[in-house]
Amino acid sequence: MKDAIEQEAPLSSFGCSTPRDRQNQRRTNLWTFAWISVWLLMTFGFKEGILPSGPLAFLLVAATVPLGIAVVLAHRKFLREADELRRKIELEALALSVGVTLVGSFTYWLMEAAGIVEAAELDKIILLTAGSYVLGTILGFRRYR
Amino acid sequence: MKNRLKVLRAERDWTQAELARQLDVSRQTVNAIETGKYDPSLPLAFRIAQVFQQPIEAIFDPGGSNGSSPH
Repeated sequence: MKDAIEQEAPLSSFGCSTPRDRQNQRRTNLWTFAWISVWLLMTFGFKEGILPSGPLAFLLVAATVPLGIAVVLAHRKFLREADELRRKIELEALALSVGVTLVGSFTYWLMEAAGIVEAAELDKIILLTAGSYVLGTILGFRRYR
Repeated sequence: MKNRLKVLRAERDWTQAELARQLDVSRQTVNAIETGKYDPSLPLAFRIAQVFQQPIEAIFDPGGSNGSSPH
């Protein structure tokens, strides 16, 4: 009886997942990788003038949208089927991310209006969103360890 | 919410991983419930009761606390 309690190996920071979670996570990562790869290639193509501009460019950009939708659907499936503690951690991290992004964006735009910083850039806001989400996930895993 | 999960599991000589497998949750979830850091959902509480073949109220005590609950 004592063995079952005392011989537990320490929990790793990212041990909060079932085999199904890991499979869904891999699927989400693959779609995300595909989407980002196409996005990077297109960005490079447009900047270097390899890809055409005008109406054809609009069609090429529109073609990336289904990949983006696949990322969203894969992530939704992951969240719906996730281990319930994992889902709680992910949702708390997403809530933190949305809050930080909103407050950060409005503060940034206010600073821009005050002339403290130059024009607000989208990439900084995306970094803030992604960074706060990762931080929220790490904090969640530590909290429930 | 206080619970007897750790005692019931030890009585059966199950590890957290074994119980997690039976409940179809992660080991961290079992650990967080045992330490009172996380209160399970109602479906999971019913599954726990089914696995231990005991009524829910014999496992969970809503009046007590094992530790700091996030709810």
